[in-house]
Amino acid sequence: MIKRVLIANRGEIALRILRACRQLGIEAVVAYSEADRESRAVLVADEAICIGPADAKRSYLSAPAVISAALATGCDAIHPGYGFLSENASFAEAAAAHGLTFIGPSADVLERFESKAEVRALLAKHGLPTIPGSDGVVADEAAAAKAAAKIGYPVILKASAGGGGRGMRVIQSADDLTQLFSLCTQEAQAAFGDGSLYIEKYLVDTHHVEVQIAVDKSGTALHFGERDCSVQRRHQKLVEESPSTALTPKVREEFLARAAKAIGAAGYRNLGTLEFLVGPDGKPYFIEINCRIQVEHPVTEMVTGVDLVALQIRLAAGELMPMTQAEVERRGHAIEFRLTAEDPVHEFRPQAGEITTFRSPSGPWVRFDSHLYAGYEVPPYYDSLLAKLIVWGNTREEAIARSRAALREVEIGGVETTRDFFLGLLETPSFLNGTATTGMLDAIGTADILATAPKARA
Amino acid sequence: MPHNTERLGELLDSLVPVLVERLHETGLGEIEIERDGAIVRVRAEDLGAPVASAPASAAPRGGVPAAAASAPTAADERRHPVRSTAVGFVKLAPDIHVGGKVTKGSLVAIVDVLGVAVEVRADHAGIVAKLRCATGDPVEYGQELFLLESVGEGKL
Repeated sequence: MIKRVLIANRGEIALRILRACRQLGIEAVVAYSEADRESRAVLVADEAICIGPADAKRSYLSAPAVISAALATGCDAIHPGYGFLSENASFAEAAAAHGLTFIGPSADVLERFESKAEVRALLAKHGLPTIPGSDGVVADEAAAAKAAAKIGYPVILKASAGGGGRGMRVIQSADDLTQLFSLCTQEAQAAFGDGSLYIEKYLVDTHHVEVQIAVDKSGTALHFGERDCSVQRRHQKLVEESPSTALTPKVREEFLARAAKAIGAAGYRNLGTLEFLVGPDGKPYFIEINCRIQVEHPVTEMVTGVDLVALQIRLAAGELMPMTQAEVERRGHAIEFRLTAEDPVHEFRPQAGEITTFRSPSGPWVRFDSHLYAGYEVPPYYDSLLAKLIVWGNTREEAIARSRAALREVEIGGVETTRDFFLGLLETPSFLNGTATTGMLDAIGTADILATAPKARA
Repeated sequence: MPHNTERLGELLDSLVPVLVERLHETGLGEIEIERDGAIVRVRAEDLGAPVASAPASAAPRGGVPAAAASAPTAADERRHPVRSTAVGFVKLAPDIHVGGKVTKGSLVAIVDVLGVAVEVRADHAGIVAKLRCATGDPVEYGQELFLLESVGEGKL
């Protein structure tokens, strides 16, 4: 039983968790840094507590500050959101040691699923196909060269502790490897505190397809369909949709069922996402797991009608799975656009500053998750996500048509945003016909996509 | 925010004599009190004309209590809020009570963060003018713990 949750995150996800708590009749306290004093989650919350200065290391990333805030406000659980401390096993352990329920997998599960290399081996054992790669982390450059030669170039060098598109580098040749191996090790060490790397075959022209799963404490594992996140820029997802255009109906159902079965058997618990690459052969290869609620979870919520954040809280509270796989019905098509404070004209340069005008879109089957309001100051310290537009249609075509209409309604003044880029994307043939792969933006170039955007009224 | 002059007048009539008396009792340079969104401030060097600042706008949710919305004065510069340096449970030092003397740099409180004592030290010398918390209270980062009023070094 969870009675009072400390929301240890910011931006739109803090608001999303707050809404789930209220719906479940659970009290919520929003933890915030000094830079987020005027954020919408703080303004809307019944209670909020300042946990530190703007610097995330001393606020949202400080385990003692977050746990101390939970105790000071009488909470019995912590929701970490995504990013920050959400997949940190020692944080989950410390929270539990102070009698707090960590809303996510328990510390021992997080630990078991921490190393990407080990998880790949574990899930391969439970029947998931994986991309040819090194057997776990590579000890040194010589071992890396040996593994890469066996797999065949190009390969991708990945930080074992990395994620979110960070800590990976494509290696085209043995020469590249010699030049970049120690640099990658240093980068991984600096970014994640762990310099260990592993190698995978670099697949070209892939779709990024991920499976939303949930597992209760008894090991009952369900899937909630897949999301296609192939529209990426430098490994950062921009658009997500469900279902994926890369899977045939026959491959899809077998693949989803297998993913749920494997993750339950491997001992995973709570909400999670299994990420796959689907090559030109139409086969999914497992790449990594995310042990948290994800930015793009609303896509799944729109096609299944399941409130994933509420489910995550209930599972963390020890409830058994409240539904069966047969009861998880997937209907229609949903697309999400990540509207960020980035300038697509100038290499997606991050923006900060006051939001001078703000108009959110609405209408049937349009969902807009955002923490913005006119007068809000976008702080320069954190990620640049401003809003998520999620649109549902009976078919992909209908969802796209509604997305165009909804995007045109969006008005965010004061900072440059990615809105017009998305309007252009919705006129781009490879996106429209569902063949866009993760390399699309590099191939077409964001400037050309932007140029196809219908001109806004002067 | 609309200014209700009549109500402000009533407020001043009822409060000022009490504040003046309190000022004499404590020997403080200034006393400030908040009533119905208005901040009334009485200053020792100017007893005849209490300053009533404009009603302050509502403090942001969960925020540190809003400071007086009036322009800084010489007296403001003598008043120093001492703020918590961490989130946790506060323990005030023995000298921290109204009228207590504080030297610059002295340890005025600790904030217990999961058993670790985080120090709060005074940036200024002065006399404690107003307590905003009590030992054992949960406090947030940046929360005002007490108000310090600086006096000439000779008086300490």
